[in-house]
Amino acid sequence: MTSTKFDPRILKAPHPVPGAPDNWKRFFSFNTDAKVIGIQYIATSLLFLLVGGLLAMIVRGELITPPADLVDPTVYNGLYTMHGTVMLFLFLFPVLNGLNNLLIPTMIGAPDMAFPRLNAAAFWLVPVFAVLLMGSFFLPGGPAQAGWWSYPPISIQNPMGLFFNGEQLWLLAVALSGISSIFGAINFVTTIVRMRAPGMGFFKMPLYCWTAWGAQIIQLIGLPALTGGAIMLLFDLSFGTSFFRPEGGGDPVLYQHFFWFYSHPAVYVMVLPVFGIFSEVFTCYARKPLFGYKFVALASFGIVFLSLIVWVHHMFYTGTPNWMRILFMFTTMTIAVPTGVKVFAWVATLWGGKLRLTTPMLFCLGGLINFIFAGITGVMLGTVPIDIHVGNTYFVVAHFHYVIFNAIVLGVFAAVYHWFPKFTGHMYYEGLGKLHFALTFIGCTLNWLPLHWAGLLGMPRRVASYDPEFAIWNVIASIGAFMLGVAAIPFILNMVSSWARGPQSPPNPWGAIGLEWLLPSPPPAENFEDDVPTVINNPYGYGLGEPQVADEEYYIRRAQEA
Amino acid sequence: MTTTTNNKSPNVGAIVIIAVAVALNLVLAVLMARWSYSWFPPQASSAAPYVDDLFALETGIGSFLWFGLTGVIGWTLLFNRAPKYDESYGEPIEGNNRLEITWTVIPTVIVFAIAIYSMQVNDKLDALGPKQKYALGTDPATVAAVDPRATVGPIDVIARQWSWEFIYPDGVRSSELHLPINQRVNFRLISEDVNHSFYVPAFRLKQDIIPGSVISYSLTPTREGRFRLRDAMFSGAYFSQNQTDVIVESDEAYSSWLKATAKQPLQPGLSPGSDLYAKRLANGDKGWATVPPAPAPLVNDPGDASIPHDA
Amino acid sequence: MQLNHTPGHIKHSGHNLTGFVIFLCSESIIFLAFFAGFTLFKLTSPEWLPPGVEGLEVRMPLINTVVLVSSSFVAYFAERYLHKGNLWGFRIVWFITMLMGAYFVYGQYVEWSSLEFGLGSGVFGGTFYLLTGFHGLHVITGIGLMGLMLYHSFRPGNYEKGDMGVTAVSLFWHFVDVIWIILFVLIYVWQRY
Repeated sequence: MTSTKFDPRILKAPHPVPGAPDNWKRFFSFNTDAKVIGIQYIATSLLFLLVGGLLAMIVRGELITPPADLVDPTVYNGLYTMHGTVMLFLFLFPVLNGLNNLLIPTMIGAPDMAFPRLNAAAFWLVPVFAVLLMGSFFLPGGPAQAGWWSYPPISIQNPMGLFFNGEQLWLLAVALSGISSIFGAINFVTTIVRMRAPGMGFFKMPLYCWTAWGAQIIQLIGLPALTGGAIMLLFDLSFGTSFFRPEGGGDPVLYQHFFWFYSHPAVYVMVLPVFGIFSEVFTCYARKPLFGYKFVALASFGIVFLSLIVWVHHMFYTGTPNWMRILFMFTTMTIAVPTGVKVFAWVATLWGGKLRLTTPMLFCLGGLINFIFAGITGVMLGTVPIDIHVGNTYFVVAHFHYVIFNAIVLGVFAAVYHWFPKFTGHMYYEGLGKLHFALTFIGCTLNWLPLHWAGLLGMPRRVASYDPEFAIWNVIASIGAFMLGVAAIPFILNMVSSWARGPQSPPNPWGAIGLEWLLPSPPPAENFEDDVPTVINNPYGYGLGEPQVADEEYYIRRAQEA
Repeated sequence: MTTTTNNKSPNVGAIVIIAVAVALNLVLAVLMARWSYSWFPPQASSAAPYVDDLFALETGIGSFLWFGLTGVIGWTLLFNRAPKYDESYGEPIEGNNRLEITWTVIPTVIVFAIAIYSMQVNDKLDALGPKQKYALGTDPATVAAVDPRATVGPIDVIARQWSWEFIYPDGVRSSELHLPINQRVNFRLISEDVNHSFYVPAFRLKQDIIPGSVISYSLTPTREGRFRLRDAMFSGAYFSQNQTDVIVESDEAYSSWLKATAKQPLQPGLSPGSDLYAKRLANGDKGWATVPPAPAPLVNDPGDASIPHDA
Repeated sequence: MQLNHTPGHIKHSGHNLTGFVIFLCSESIIFLAFFAGFTLFKLTSPEWLPPGVEGLEVRMPLINTVVLVSSSFVAYFAERYLHKGNLWGFRIVWFITMLMGAYFVYGQYVEWSSLEFGLGSGVFGGTFYLLTGFHGLHVITGIGLMGLMLYHSFRPGNYEKGDMGVTAVSLFWHFVDVIWIILFVLIYVWQRY
């Protein structure tokens, strides 16, 4: 260790709000502390999980009987469009950005994000576009009704001919969400590349950081393409161009390329951090090192690369020429390999461990089982002939909900429980957590497993009414959906009561390994401040008896004394 | 990365357990693959058996993987649980390069094998012809490619918000699609407004219809009956009603239907959206905005929506 | 004890430039998307030029291109002056860069106002105005940022912490330039072949 002179101003992240309140009020201010912003993101997004869930339950209520009898079909179309939009842009992206804010600086020993003010700006865009999106419900003509894909020409039909319409607000909201995500991505990538603790080479970095890094690189490459497409769509809708309007020589399929070039990788933006969460949680509660750390880390970047060259598999039946279908079928199939490497590594990590079935572990185990299932249906959908039959049916709906809810959201819940004590300083109630898991797991299986069969029989997605032969699958699915609604109750109870009066949490309640667990719970404003530990060993050294950082005893003592 | 090698003599008990588990899993996988055939509507086109076989194969492989992996996870849940208050660690294995390479190479081989098999199946389906752009307002038939191997057609399939219209080579128009059995039929898929999709689950075939392009599409029905044709690409307010039937019948029945229908006068065909839209207007035009339905197509045979379909 | 735990990586203060370069890479993909769209339309549209439109005049845009591309070199010399500590040299040459940028925008304005097709004239009109307009916005932003840097250069002690701002703006200007060269080849040169 050499002692170096350094400028203390660099260590202190700039806080443009000096003396910002240290109580609940800070969560409603333009605070630049990543940990405050993280909690702002997570709380906001969980609120919108409820909104999106409510929309989903109306949708499932409509579908519990074959005819369109609960709401008008136009209302149904608006509801499912907004359900998808809210869940992706107001729940999943913000909740993962929240976790990034909490975990990345603490895991790599940085005092804050690289650009704290940009970080706060990225968060405060969320309420802005949330208001825009929710406001579109009250427009004459209602919100956007073209699905979250917003495919033209249906999305630019503008039936009432008004300049301000639901579709336009939808596009503006999505564009703002994109700007917010780009701000976030620049911040996260710079932070990971430039601000790691001494000694933390890339191959000593926790997997959550690897996967979040990969995910944010996808955002940087993919989002601009969608933005380009969205700008052109907005011009078609509002300013009389005809990029996607066949009447003026435009090409509706071009939009689909722009859209899926981003929106397929977007799934990996969401699932990669959850792979990171799996790696953290399985090692911690199986009390074992991660099996094949380097392979798992590199597989993340294999997925990043491949995710950018598979998008045409969403367009196997849009008239895509055959050579292109075959090419993209092969790239799509290849993506199963790095994903498989990860899955096998997790299972091998569990093997021979000392499993502790806490709430986060249960959520991750459930998420993993569902993810394997979703991967298998994903390979099925990747093959052209199967996709031609089941594409755009409920098989696809079931598949992507298996990925997005049954794997990703379960992983997000696991993360919320696992790091809850660290960032609130309170323990959660294990019993309520397990009840939440049981209701969620049974509910999500009931909801989406039966819909695979509805799809195989040929029930198209996005329908407000359907032929009676599909009724049985839909009744079961709706019961599952309502069960998921009930599952929110123990979760909310747990979060609110634990934070308000849960027992104090020690710095490292799970005996976990990682820089964040060397900090007090909750960590102070600038984490390690000017006393950043030097990393000397690989992460996840469970049972190896090697300290992860130099002078580990000192940091443990310091955290306990705080 | 350390590789832990086990130099102890092979554990016979473990080998027996693994062998039994793999055998059980294989049986389960085969059963699942067989069962998967019953998850589909009847096979009514030459494409359907190929699709179902491919699906059964993938179901088998997928089941083997899923039951295998969940079986291992289940085993750890049963036998690798930490007792209460046990704070000790599991065996600190950091990895095994040979194992890593195995589970990279084997899945690669499997997915490529599936992909090559799918490629062959796709050649067998042989449904999609060229897609030609044309300027809206001109006649798409002038640019459309004709399938020389088709013995019936080309039949124009015109999709609208929210109705289907079929125009046969001799000019007969209908709201339900009539096809002779066991003959390759060629379609020109045309949309006049937004994206639609020509999807007949019993045929296992689906093709989007893109406005501004005409797509040549061919298939061979192999089973008589009345099958559902569903619009599978979201097309607006009454999208879910935009369905009609495909009637596959014998050669004689088909030609006599053509002959009889040619004599029928043109009349409004099926247009389920129009009725629902009229009802909506009568109820005070509540709900969110929608474009009005296209007028019902004028056809010789409007069909009958009340006849139940076979699949 | 404290000295044993000095931060290593955090010492670097070059985050701003890292972040800006990442932003530029990301931004270039929007243009890439537009270029891809333009190419696809040009290759596949049943009707490319709107009725009554022969093609685009190349002479004026070519002069514009020369001005814009050479302004990139001028900006480079301005940076060199700054590195050498010649503040007035920097200000003057930097201002010349701004003038050249402004001339480019003026040239674009003259060209736009003389065209006989509009935004709604098929995919040709749409892509033309979208590409040149979006690029023009970047040029105007670049001039604005250069103005800001020029203004900052009069603040005492402005360069004590380095001249990262000037480096970033100059990088942005080169980026805008490269985009224009691709755009010029696609829209103006390609129409001849």
